[in-house]
Amino acid sequence: MFYQNASDMPEKQAIWCDGKTATYKEMADLVSRYSNFLVSKGVQYGDHLAIPMNNSIESVALFFTAADLGVCLVPLNPTLPLESIKVAMQSGDMKHLIARKSFLSDCEKKGGVEVLGVTVCLDGDFEGAYSFSEVATMPTTRPACKHVNGDESLILTMTSGSTGTPKPIDISQQNKVDRSLAHIRVYGLTKEDRILAATPLYHSLAERLVILPLILGATSILLPRFTPALWLKCAAEQKPTFTIAVSAQLAQILELLKQNNTEGIDSFRSIVSSSALLEEKVKMELIDRLHCEFHEMYGTSETSTITDICFQAAPNKQKSVGYPFDEAKVRILFDDEERDCVVGEVGEIACKSKLTCKGYYKMDNMMQLAMVDGYFRTGDLGYVDEDGYLYFAGRKKELIITGAINVYPNDIDMVVRQIPEVEECAAFSYPDDRLGEVVALAIVRKDDCELTERTIKTYCARNLADFQQPHKVFFVDALPKNAMGKLMRNSILEQIRLSGLD
Amino acid sequence: MTNMQDVKEFVTEYIQREYTVPEDKDIMILNYIEEGYIDSMGFIQFISTIEDEFGIEFEVEDIENPDMRIVGKLIEIIKDKLNA
Repeated sequence: MFYQNASDMPEKQAIWCDGKTATYKEMADLVSRYSNFLVSKGVQYGDHLAIPMNNSIESVALFFTAADLGVCLVPLNPTLPLESIKVAMQSGDMKHLIARKSFLSDCEKKGGVEVLGVTVCLDGDFEGAYSFSEVATMPTTRPACKHVNGDESLILTMTSGSTGTPKPIDISQQNKVDRSLAHIRVYGLTKEDRILAATPLYHSLAERLVILPLILGATSILLPRFTPALWLKCAAEQKPTFTIAVSAQLAQILELLKQNNTEGIDSFRSIVSSSALLEEKVKMELIDRLHCEFHEMYGTSETSTITDICFQAAPNKQKSVGYPFDEAKVRILFDDEERDCVVGEVGEIACKSKLTCKGYYKMDNMMQLAMVDGYFRTGDLGYVDEDGYLYFAGRKKELIITGAINVYPNDIDMVVRQIPEVEECAAFSYPDDRLGEVVALAIVRKDDCELTERTIKTYCARNLADFQQPHKVFFVDALPKNAMGKLMRNSILEQIRLSGLD
Repeated sequence: MTNMQDVKEFVTEYIQREYTVPEDKDIMILNYIEEGYIDSMGFIQFISTIEDEFGIEFEVEDIENPDMRIVGKLIEIIKDKLNA
């Protein structure tokens, strides 16, 4: 589809990122050169390729190169600590590594990572790695790829790439295309659209938002890094017409718009908010300044988007996260899973969708455990109303979602417990205006031990990824536990507030 | 004795770990947080890495100082600590 677009409209702008642009012809040439480069270095059909990914035109080209060669990409968060990178690389069976020089040099300093295949350095030269600059010397003829049939894994998304065992979500080429086509239909996207992606490319949302325009024949606008000021500048200059943003980003954008008292942006036809439901007041203020249709969606990385709602089209459903896509069905499971909840009754949200991933890579049993009669148990709580609209009511599983990134509190506990002065600790979710939630830590110090917040933060800075960093640290006498001695993580905040520590 | 050129190189390389600063931008006056080269969550990691690299320690007031977010001024602060 992408190559067809390149042939039909070679001069059309395919992508903008950080001041650089590429037409469809230029993009197709880059994809082919990249493919020829990787083939010439020994990358083969079915190989897994790890990339600590930044947002760039080259990263986008790599998605299409991977599809063309039938190789599987494993985008990694470059800020992950080396130990987590190693675990992720092993669980994803990664053979090759494409990275920036700083990443390779950091790895080398800290003992290195095992790369069985090829290493490529994206910026400059690095000993033992091929230089990406060679790509420019490669032919632009598309390499023959007879094997590729669409069932190949295209992307493994690491859901918990930290000290815990990662569950790599296996998404096939066909699945990625189907997900894009469903979003194109639901949001009425056309070749005329300019589609903005403003989250990191190792996040499934941005992957969707850059692949979608290029198979549609539209234009992709890729924000290199997110800050509200950069987003507004990009929106004013590049005039995007559609985006799916993380709700925490929208809240920050609104804050800045209000601070600057600027007129707002008028290029958008519609904006979709994902990750967490925005307050009605925030939505109204955003509509007032962004002058467009406003949607909310609900979904998971495993199932893709399940429901959508247009704020203006359903004025009596303001608190809902929407009505299921044609591809999806929703059930609300009662606690014992033996019956479905009745209308209005809260239970676990379970979804069945044609857009569901292949499974967790090499963890078939984990996917089976999450399924009930073909429905994926999301770990979220919710209910449906008499018209079939879904409402979100909280989370069943222990999870902190900060700026749309999932953080597993256990991963943080395991690291902080290694501090000698810590008797007990527990990470928990703390509400935050900017990011929705942030990581907080409750610490019980060992008797007669001195331990400061700074020491804990420094230790975390060295041993955890940036999104796992605790924003708040509370020293407590004991952690709340039930009669069986099990930690009651959801009660920590309440306990801290009752003790007047917050 | 740490060479000041080393400090500059270390700081500018760290900031450009994920994204290269365009050549037409003066990196010394860059606010690397506002421009998104390091996000607020990565800032504490950056500070700890500097402390480890140069054997210095930042006080809470240093961390709260807005100058710490400007490349050139940060280099000056590190320099002062090294000479103290």
